[in-house]
Amino acid sequence: MPITAPIAPQAAPLLPRRNRKAQRAEARAGLFFALPWIIGMTIFVALPLIVTFYIAQTKFQIVGAPKWVGLQNYEALLRDPAFWKSAQNTLIFAAISVPLKLIIALGLALLLNRATALLGFYRTVFYLPFLMPAVAGSVVFMLLLTPNAGPVNIALEAMGLNPPDWLLDPKAALWTLILLSLWPLGVETLVFLGGLQNIPKDVSEAADLDSPKRWHKLVWITLPLITPMVLFNLVIGIIYSFQVFTQAIVIGGTTGTPAESTLMYMVVLYRAAFRYFNMGLAAAMATVLFVVVLILTLLIFKTARSWVHYEGGET
Amino acid sequence: MSNTSFAVPRHISRRGFLASSAAFGTAMALPPAAFAQQEGQLLLWLPGGSELFCKIHTGLLEGFSAGASLGPATTVCGLGQDTEFTQSLIGAITAGNPPDISMLWDSPVSLGAQGAFMPLDDMMKGSKIPLDTWPAGLLSSCQFKGVTYGLPITAGVYSMWYNQEMFEARGMASDRASFPKTWAEMRKMSKEFTVWEGDKLISAGFMPNRVPETMAIWSALNGGMMFDEANLKYQIDSEQNIEMMTFFLEWLDEEYKGDFNLVDRSGNFLDGYPNSTTGMGPAFREGRQAGMQSGSWLLGDIFADPVPSFERWNLAANPIGPSGSTSVSGTWPNWFVIPVGSKNPQAAFDYLSYLAIEGSVEWYQQIPDVPTNSQVQRKAPAGLVEKRGQEVADDITAFLGEQAAVVTPMWNSPVQSFYTDQIARAVEKIYTKASPVKDALSEAQAATQAELERVLAG
Repeated sequence: MPITAPIAPQAAPLLPRRNRKAQRAEARAGLFFALPWIIGMTIFVALPLIVTFYIAQTKFQIVGAPKWVGLQNYEALLRDPAFWKSAQNTLIFAAISVPLKLIIALGLALLLNRATALLGFYRTVFYLPFLMPAVAGSVVFMLLLTPNAGPVNIALEAMGLNPPDWLLDPKAALWTLILLSLWPLGVETLVFLGGLQNIPKDVSEAADLDSPKRWHKLVWITLPLITPMVLFNLVIGIIYSFQVFTQAIVIGGTTGTPAESTLMYMVVLYRAAFRYFNMGLAAAMATVLFVVVLILTLLIFKTARSWVHYEGGET
Repeated sequence: MSNTSFAVPRHISRRGFLASSAAFGTAMALPPAAFAQQEGQLLLWLPGGSELFCKIHTGLLEGFSAGASLGPATTVCGLGQDTEFTQSLIGAITAGNPPDISMLWDSPVSLGAQGAFMPLDDMMKGSKIPLDTWPAGLLSSCQFKGVTYGLPITAGVYSMWYNQEMFEARGMASDRASFPKTWAEMRKMSKEFTVWEGDKLISAGFMPNRVPETMAIWSALNGGMMFDEANLKYQIDSEQNIEMMTFFLEWLDEEYKGDFNLVDRSGNFLDGYPNSTTGMGPAFREGRQAGMQSGSWLLGDIFADPVPSFERWNLAANPIGPSGSTSVSGTWPNWFVIPVGSKNPQAAFDYLSYLAIEGSVEWYQQIPDVPTNSQVQRKAPAGLVEKRGQEVADDITAFLGEQAAVVTPMWNSPVQSFYTDQIARAVEKIYTKASPVKDALSEAQAATQAELERVLAG
């Protein structure tokens, strides 16, 4: 590699008037092109967010005008057993399903990363569940897990096991819901796979020469190089897991049957808004969820500086 | 990058741009226009139902509109059931573009009390369907603080259904008059039919109630109530209701091994329909359950797949509880409302009058939802006549008419959905022994009363 003398930093020359005009025109054009997104963001994200913060401090039954009640909805939330129960269920769900999802998706990605003639087929197979509507997927699982006539229990009984009442037993239902969340892993797997395929071959080969043990390579080379993907999947996973709704309402209805074991935060929020028409309380719940997820995301990003490694340094 | 100013790319001409904008604008405007109401033309929304259900209502509305010299009517079917439909309706009302008439499968009290539906009392005075032509218990499902927000044009009427052939096979009288009159008699009789093989329930008699919506009927049968509308007080943890749930729990323990999960693993003993989740057939139709409480809508479905394994079944009055004194019935009505913002409120009300008296007869003949107005001359459903003969069909029709007249007030709370969820939670806790009867009911009482007071507060 030729060694060259460092180039001394030069003072930025004053831009000619013509160039400044060009830059302004470019900025205007950029803004113009971004305008649809900015308008969309303002109307569909920022405005609803502000309105939600406002409605959270009103008594609003949808029909009629909202009435200002200050922090009453937040006080009501703290007294509501369903709020605490659903928050507890959701935390358990997130704490278990997110790491499990990451581990299994990574495992699948490592398998898919091995050169095989059927790579395309397997990639499609693992991605397919993600394309199935969540309601349809939940119903299929409910049929599979039917205590007496479901094929899963029939198979387990044939093996001499005593299968649980997956969705009828309050002690088993939440775990079943967690199990269900592990099914559509297509996106996480593909993200990991993308990361794995971007690991430079020379680094990989050097690692193979350094140590014949595969786990050494996994721990010291592969994992550090795909930490940006881990970060992405972790953040998205946490956001989604706190918003788990479809499977929970299909399986447990608005009461979290059996015995509130499947009562999730978003279900309580939904029923407050659209079943009890208590928009104020629902908005307060949405605000709390927003703040909690925001804090968690910021925390992850803060810690990410110490464990996420970007090739060529963080940009 | 060049410093030329931004310009519309040449391949999109100004004319093309304007044409695209116009097409986009039209597309955006079309959906509301398709559902918009117009003066002199009635627009009806239905929450769901079968193709036949939609066809009947489309025909009835078109026939009425033609007879009343109104413009072409529109019936919008299948807008989604339950919450989705309510969301659509509320959205249309708040946008100022509701249908003229809407059918509801949930009580109109909650939204009516908030001002979503037009009060009908003034229009009912001097009309063909004044207040006194409706059974009080039924009409109360549309009333709050003396204001009527809808009409229960037809209803599914709850009564006891029983398999006469199972009764006779055990040497029991199977006529309606001999059916158990009290819970104690029913429970005693039930044991005669209940057979377990290990943890599998082979056949059963009757079941303790666990349907939240019908708990108000069982409460009334025991001399109690769930909601005291006159005093705006819930009575969920009253002595009668504690006694009721204790009775049911003891029954469950004694006859069904204290575990509804075991019952559910053995078949669908909950209602007369196949279980949509487990796919299990209805034990009643399979001849494995002697009797159950069900709504009259089953009349229209009982002969469909799975066809009952027996021919003779009958209906009987609901038995009374230990603290009760008289039998009552309950309903799940098909409510009709005129949303605030209707452009044709009088024509809409005239249609409801027609539907309540003439239209509901045709409706009942094809789909057995029982007409509720006292002036209706009910004719037995054609399908029932075909399967069971004119005499039995007429007898059942007359019986359901009698039951509709003794309906206990239910669906009459402005926090009905909240109450239903709380009762469901309490019942589940009681039957799974997660909470003693009194504690579970008290918890439901406190939560529901607090929600009621919150809603009623200014």
